[in-house]
Amino acid sequence: MFVSLTMSSLMIIFLIMLIISGLSGLVFLHPRVPISFVRVHIWIVALPPLISVLALTNTSANGQIGPWYTDSLAWLMVFFVLAIGFIIQRFSVRYLLGDRAYRKYFTLFTLTTGAASMAWLSADLRLMVLFWGATLTGLTLLIRLNHEWKVVSEAAKVSGRLFLLSWLSLVLAMVWLFQASGQWQLSSALSIENLVLLGNWERAGINLLIVLAVIIPAAQWPFHRWLIESVVAPTPVSAIMHAGLVNAGGIMLTRFSPLFNGDIASITLLILAGISVLIGSGISLVQVDYKRQLVGSTIGQMGFMLIQCALGAYIAAIIHLILHGLFKATLFLQSGSAVRRFEVSNRINERASYLWILAGRALGIVAGVAFWLMAPGEGYQLISALIIGWSLSVSWTQLVAFGEGRIGRSVGFLFLGGAALVYVMIHHLFYELLQTTAFQSVQPPMAVVIIVACLLLFGSAIGAWIARNQSSVFFAVLYLWLVKLGEAKAKSVDSHPSYLEQYLQKGGNQ
Amino acid sequence: MSGTSVLMKESSKTKDSQSDFQEMSAIIAAASQVIAPLWPISTFAARSPWLGLEKQSFAGVASWLKETRDVDIYPSALMILAAKRKGEIDEKFVQRALQQWLDSNSFPIPRDEAERFCQAALKLEPLPTELLSSSKLEQLVAHLHELNSGSGGKFTMQPLSSSIENQSHERLINILDHHIIKWCKLYLDDSQAGWTMPNREKGFYRAWQRLIQYDPALSKNQRQSLKGWPEKPQTALKAALLALEISESEIQPYLEGHLLSLPGWAGMMLWRSQQSSAEQELLTEYLAVRISMEWALIHPYMPLTNERVAYKASIASLLASWLHWGELPMEEWLQMSDAQQQAYLSFASIFDDQLRRKIWLEAWEQTHEERLRQKMISSQYKTGHKKTPLAQLAFCIDARSEPFRRQLEKEGPFETIGIAGFFGLPIATSGLGHTHSHPSLPIMLKPQHKIRELAEEHELQLYQHRKQAVHSLSYTFKTMKQNVLASLLLPELSGPWLSLQMAARSFVPRRAGRFLRNLREGWLRKPNTELSLHHDDKREVGLPVGFADQEKVNYARQTLKMMGLTKNFAPLVVICGHSSQSTNNPYAAALDCGACGGAAGGFNARVFAALCNLPEVRENLTYEGIEIPDDTVFVAAEHRTTVDDLEWIYVPKLTEAAQEAFARIEAIMPDVSHKANAARLAQLPQLQSQLKKPSAEAKRFAEDWSEIRPEWGLARNAAFIIGKRELTEGCDLEGRAFLHNYDWQEDADGALLASIIAGPGTVAQWINLQYYASTVAPHYYGSGSKATQTVTAGLGVMQGNASDLLTGLPWQSVMATDFEAYHSPLRLLIVIQAPSEHIERLLKTDSTFRQKVRNGWVRLASVEREGHWRNWQPYTINELLNEPYKERSE
Repeated sequence: MFVSLTMSSLMIIFLIMLIISGLSGLVFLHPRVPISFVRVHIWIVALPPLISVLALTNTSANGQIGPWYTDSLAWLMVFFVLAIGFIIQRFSVRYLLGDRAYRKYFTLFTLTTGAASMAWLSADLRLMVLFWGATLTGLTLLIRLNHEWKVVSEAAKVSGRLFLLSWLSLVLAMVWLFQASGQWQLSSALSIENLVLLGNWERAGINLLIVLAVIIPAAQWPFHRWLIESVVAPTPVSAIMHAGLVNAGGIMLTRFSPLFNGDIASITLLILAGISVLIGSGISLVQVDYKRQLVGSTIGQMGFMLIQCALGAYIAAIIHLILHGLFKATLFLQSGSAVRRFEVSNRINERASYLWILAGRALGIVAGVAFWLMAPGEGYQLISALIIGWSLSVSWTQLVAFGEGRIGRSVGFLFLGGAALVYVMIHHLFYELLQTTAFQSVQPPMAVVIIVACLLLFGSAIGAWIARNQSSVFFAVLYLWLVKLGEAKAKSVDSHPSYLEQYLQKGGNQ
Repeated sequence: MSGTSVLMKESSKTKDSQSDFQEMSAIIAAASQVIAPLWPISTFAARSPWLGLEKQSFAGVASWLKETRDVDIYPSALMILAAKRKGEIDEKFVQRALQQWLDSNSFPIPRDEAERFCQAALKLEPLPTELLSSSKLEQLVAHLHELNSGSGGKFTMQPLSSSIENQSHERLINILDHHIIKWCKLYLDDSQAGWTMPNREKGFYRAWQRLIQYDPALSKNQRQSLKGWPEKPQTALKAALLALEISESEIQPYLEGHLLSLPGWAGMMLWRSQQSSAEQELLTEYLAVRISMEWALIHPYMPLTNERVAYKASIASLLASWLHWGELPMEEWLQMSDAQQQAYLSFASIFDDQLRRKIWLEAWEQTHEERLRQKMISSQYKTGHKKTPLAQLAFCIDARSEPFRRQLEKEGPFETIGIAGFFGLPIATSGLGHTHSHPSLPIMLKPQHKIRELAEEHELQLYQHRKQAVHSLSYTFKTMKQNVLASLLLPELSGPWLSLQMAARSFVPRRAGRFLRNLREGWLRKPNTELSLHHDDKREVGLPVGFADQEKVNYARQTLKMMGLTKNFAPLVVICGHSSQSTNNPYAAALDCGACGGAAGGFNARVFAALCNLPEVRENLTYEGIEIPDDTVFVAAEHRTTVDDLEWIYVPKLTEAAQEAFARIEAIMPDVSHKANAARLAQLPQLQSQLKKPSAEAKRFAEDWSEIRPEWGLARNAAFIIGKRELTEGCDLEGRAFLHNYDWQEDADGALLASIIAGPGTVAQWINLQYYASTVAPHYYGSGSKATQTVTAGLGVMQGNASDLLTGLPWQSVMATDFEAYHSPLRLLIVIQAPSEHIERLLKTDSTFRQKVRNGWVRLASVEREGHWRNWQPYTINELLNEPYKERSE
């Protein structure tokens, strides 16, 4: 009783804070409010994530209060989205200073991340759809802010259309689910009694709609265009997009996990996500623009997150989406550092003793096998083991085998050990935190797991093959296709940012 | 398809004879004058975008650019009116210029009507739209013939693809640009991509020629048409030009039009072609690719109907301007004869928007000159006290040195000197353990020596290992990123660390930045280093390492003379280079020393100070009349412009007197720093009204990764003053002037002045024009908003999804907000303190400089013996030098 009381009061405080921060964002829009109000606004925006941390440390009952989820997954996502939003707003205070849409950025950042956090709190299908729609609208408006530049309005158009498709698909799925179950509460709609009532084709239909709804924001092939074209958005907008919003699919699929049981929808998801991993990695391999490389990487990473979901590894997917979000936000925000000043000194001794490299490979295999044996029954464990073993071998080669002198090797060893330790600790922490979350994972058939593993290995193999066959026609064709997939349309490209000339000639209202 | 076969026949007919190639190369070389070479952003040294165009007048280039590219290089009306409101333009100069213009031109129009028209037009207000769109105007215009203005003198040519649209109403030239951007960035990539472009080692054209037949970005027909395209770029270029039916005489302007479409990428190709012999044909290859692709895109639309659009619209605006500004009643217009109407219209077309803003720009410049003159004259002769200084500090001519020097002089008996920050040393510098060397001198000079930083063998090795250990982290990051499997784990491995960094940089930017730097430096522990000053006999490829004995003396003497420091040495002479400090800023190099090729100037300062401390150099200098007392010690420091303080980088053992001076500088530095920062930060956009600790806030600007304007750099620069410090001492030049010490009495033959003008003078002019161009045409010569830039190929930045490789300064470096310019676009005013005869001699001997002044690329004034100010008007230069007057605009 006591727990639920504190929870509900926390919930109320949180909602009040969120409303206050939204109001603060709206107040800032008024031209009479001085620009320096932004400093106050930043403090106000810091409050809701603080409350959510408090809530996160206090959850014990994985319950619900009214139409709201109050379990650790919900609070974790709320904290994540709001904290990223807060950091990006702090960044924008100086970074966007002088921009003509300065005030609007803060309002939209606040409202968009606020709406996203509400969407993850919603346990009621209607609320979830509503808030997720608001989030997508907010994002589209953010992309569109500088619409005087024709390429920006083009990007906003492409994004807006795809988002609408995604949202409508979600709406349809929810209405269908309601029709079938007669429940708007997610947990009741997906209760075992209700699930049994669902016909196979009904279930597949709903699942396919949900899959469509999630792969669009995750920029999965063939719906990746919007992310490719929206490189045109200002850096902080890209940061929020790649960190906080593309990964919605991971959360939604976790919430809808009881629906998925390895049917046609899961397979579709697996295929599209698998292709996207390869395409995304390929784009980031061939592209030379820093931000475009990041876009390619996001497509690949989101593909991986969806693979994890499809294989039933929901906690792994949540961990991945959070860490990836933080990773990508940082890389975007520091995109100004991508210029190297003078060359970094030449390559380390590649002729390093072959033995060291072999040792790394052996270590990778041992670690991978050991990891797999920890839970050989779970399908995802195999994939995870493969990746961990492979990464260990690669990083060992770079850090230890190529390390120069005793200093180099011992430092490399330390880095490797440190990274591994932190990795284990963080994962442990997340598992502890999320173990109470209710989700159902169905083990996928082993054949599917092996196909996924082969797909990933195939990607690596192509890379290795190409290193030896640089001048083959196959490489030329593959290369050019990957370049084409990563490039924006000619319509979204402007050889010179001519809108600035308009600024000089027409000015505007401050 | 049929096009190809015809082409093949044609190209085989015109056998690729050697002379043909040479002719084509000459045409390309001539065409390339319209662009300027562009170097990588990591050594962002200022460049004037109009390098090759100085043979023509500024006004001529302005109207040419307006016509060919619709790029306007006069300040916009809005900018001028804002400057007028701020009192930066004295309207009397506008009036004077107008009267002069009316006097010097004759028109068959009553003077009072002409003047009324001009006065109203000079208000720079746009014509009312309701008038322009009125039906009455339309009727009037319908009766008019096309204006025979006879402006067909200059021949311009647009790429053919700019006049064709495809089915979805996209202009073909945009599609062409899109393709070309892609090919350029993929080819030029500086090891950013995991997979490099196939066949890249074969050269740009060959790689393209191999790949284009597979490019899915082209339609099947387009790919087919380029299949079997010539192997050689020259042949391909000729074939494409022929297929596009460009006649021999049109080739050069046609190529110019194409080069100006993406001047940044073309400029980078041009720069690369000058770097190595393997790529010397790169610009030809670029043009071959571009024009071949153009042909592939437009050949379905061939033959082109050459329809010229009649410019009725512009006649309408000319007439409207008479009705509105000239207050000409409609009835009166209708009663005029055809010839009269023509005269009125042609008057309006001559007194056009560009001319009006030219008048305003010149008035702005004259106002600036007038105020500078008053400032300098009022300060002159009042500095009677001449104590022997405790220390002499030499700073770079950089405009940011001026406020710092002023504060320093106020705080004690210090003499400051201005000189170009490479200290006359034509060297390439190579930091400890680097294999790469950086040409640390003005970009138009070539290095003659290489100076290495050296350390003891064992220590160096350990240092290298420590450094490699740090690099191995970023290498590992990159390798994992480029590996399909490992890249999936990378976010989970590095995410926690990166988020820690993100949080720290966001909330405690100053401390986080300092902590990370200290951590790095503490780990690296750079050993004490020596410089390879002495000539090394070991023959190395390339530049000789170190200086020969006589060279050391020569450089020391030459630079001391340049500084005007040949007697009265203080016990301590501080040679100050300068550097900036900013975080997460792709334009960091733009804030460094322009005279050092876009790098920090500390290395050069150290080399020069060390040279002057060598006993053998001092001994030899004595024979030449420069006696450096034994007490005197030269030390080197770096002026850090973002935080306005001095960092010592080379302090040898000091004598007692030198130690005293050194201690004194250290003691006053916090105060100097505080005041200089307070004054400087007041100019930067702030969110607080009160700054309690300016020095701390300046450090925040330097360390904050979200800071979009770490400092103003050289914005607002407008003058280069060459003369004694007494001339400017005590006046607040607002950090807008480059200062170079010069004493004409010590320069009987004018050699010093000539070298100041040729080296530092050109650097200052390039910096000035770069700021100018980035302010007046930010989309074309600037590099757009920093927020929407992406670094590409490790070479430079593009806007949005893709764009030209942008060449100039970002929008935020010249604008205070989207509404308000910070930089005033004024052409550099060079003020030389010397008698007229000296200036005349300079103008006579230095034809490049003469051309710059005459054609309005810089302004020139001089301060004569009695402090009399003389302005050297461009149009007086020719008469003065008794030269036959040549057509100025061409």
